[in-house]
Amino acid sequence: MWVSSTKWKVISPIAAILLWQLLASAGLLGKTPSPWQAVEGIWFLIDTGLPPGYRLWGHAGASLARVLAGFAAACLVAVPIGVLMGWSKHLDAVLDPLVEAVRPVPPLAWLPFAVLWFGIGLVSSSFIIFLGVFFPVLLNTVSGVKSVDPRLPEAARTLGASEATILGRVLVPGASPSIITGIRIGMGIGWMTLVAAEMTGVKSGYGLGYMILTARDYARYDLVASGIIVIGLLGFAMDTCIRLVEKRLLRWR
Amino acid sequence: MMRLANRGLCTGIIVLLLLATVALVVMPGCGEPEKAAVPVRFGILRNDLHQLAYYVAREKGYFTEEGLDVREGGAFNAGPEEMSAFAAGELDMGLVGTSPVVTFASQKMADVKIVAQANTEGSAVLIRAGLEGEDMASFRGRTIAVPGFSTVQDFLLRLALKKAELSDTDVNIIVLKPPETLAAFSSSQIDGAVCWEPYPSMAVNDNKARVMLTSHQIWPDHPCCMLIVASEFLSKNPEVVRKVVAAHVKATDFINKNKLEATDMARMFTGQDKNVCASAMKNVKFDPDPDPVEIQKYVDYLKTAGVVKVTDTGDFVDDLVDSEYLPRK
Repeated sequence: MWVSSTKWKVISPIAAILLWQLLASAGLLGKTPSPWQAVEGIWFLIDTGLPPGYRLWGHAGASLARVLAGFAAACLVAVPIGVLMGWSKHLDAVLDPLVEAVRPVPPLAWLPFAVLWFGIGLVSSSFIIFLGVFFPVLLNTVSGVKSVDPRLPEAARTLGASEATILGRVLVPGASPSIITGIRIGMGIGWMTLVAAEMTGVKSGYGLGYMILTARDYARYDLVASGIIVIGLLGFAMDTCIRLVEKRLLRWR
Repeated sequence: MMRLANRGLCTGIIVLLLLATVALVVMPGCGEPEKAAVPVRFGILRNDLHQLAYYVAREKGYFTEEGLDVREGGAFNAGPEEMSAFAAGELDMGLVGTSPVVTFASQKMADVKIVAQANTEGSAVLIRAGLEGEDMASFRGRTIAVPGFSTVQDFLLRLALKKAELSDTDVNIIVLKPPETLAAFSSSQIDGAVCWEPYPSMAVNDNKARVMLTSHQIWPDHPCCMLIVASEFLSKNPEVVRKVVAAHVKATDFINKNKLEATDMARMFTGQDKNVCASAMKNVKFDPDPDPVEIQKYVDYLKTAGVVKVTDTGDFVDDLVDSEYLPRK
């Protein structure tokens, strides 16, 4: 390889942005804003805000809170259920058809119920994100537990370990790489459902998805691009955080 | 033997396909009595009584009488969504609020012309049932929903707030699509809302809200929904546009001259009951003549709000409004 993979991490985004700017400067993108306009837009969002007075930090903070709330709730529910489903064949048989029936439903389809049940605040948008995050985390946890070498819990059992110890000391650690992969996928999907979630309406007037829709209402497509970039950067930052945690947790590997 | 038979079959199919292709290519050329009508992809707002003329023209056959092929190109939840479809080149003509038209045209996102008006007035500021307050000042610190930023309703709200000497920051303005607005009233999520008819009449009928101000009280005869056309479509098919405008004007006349039957058709169009439609119809003025002077007020406002960049708002409106296609009186 003529460049290391770390260098690629820097080169590929820069190349993509350059290509985008080049196409825009050549007038090949029509009404699509150029990256420079998008960057100017980010400054406008920091300085003036959209709608004026509603600045970028407020939007980013509100969205982060929603994503984190939905994400945390999904992980807290999905991981224990997934571990139990992986551990008990009976429970798996009972829950699996339910999971497989609900899983293909797009989170957005729940939107009318989300508004009906939870109104238009933090809870309803977090609920939509919860639905997006829940299933990848659950399925990865189940398959992670199932993929643990069956000889390991057997060995622990012969050594006199209780079922609880086997679950906590053998199965969960063994499944953790798969669980973390599920969490990473879930986090990505969480951000993906954000715009849909914020379409339920946001009472505070803040949210990145909501801000993008506002920019569309004002026909400010440069600000739409800025919003997309900010979401991309936040998603990237959070993925990096999870990877750092992963490295620490899985040092034993 | 089987293989030979198969080959025969294959050859037969290929010959048939070739013949069909030739027929398709040649057919339209020979003996075409009249040119097929140019399809018009027409956009409307979902459940918006202001746009009743479209439904009347369709149901009464006014489009067909003019030899037009008008197809529903989409029903949208708010003006900016419909204007995005114009920006994408997905619509040829449509009915949509003045404010989104001005916003998208001035940002050069959609190249369109206003060729007729659908209505003036026909919106209202609602306050949640059970809340005290007789004037806009009672909204201080409360949450009010509009169908979208830079919609006619958003504009009306800001005008009403200004008249009551409230600033935009004295209230919390949020975006909710009108169908969700009624649900949000029921669950007390919002305190007020600005909606197009029939939503105000629906909310009042269901005891969810009461009318604080009609848009007539905020700005008499304010322009509302416009009949617009994509500039490219207009330059290619000026006669089609003239015919659509004619059908639109005829339908508008019908509504004004036959209030009872029009109310009945409003019932079919919006799916609401008679009481709601009768009350809603009273608040909408169906008038096909756009008034550039009034339209300019939207542009002036959007310019001062810093949303649009227009150097001369008068010139901009002159260029945007093209009354050429309205039938001569």
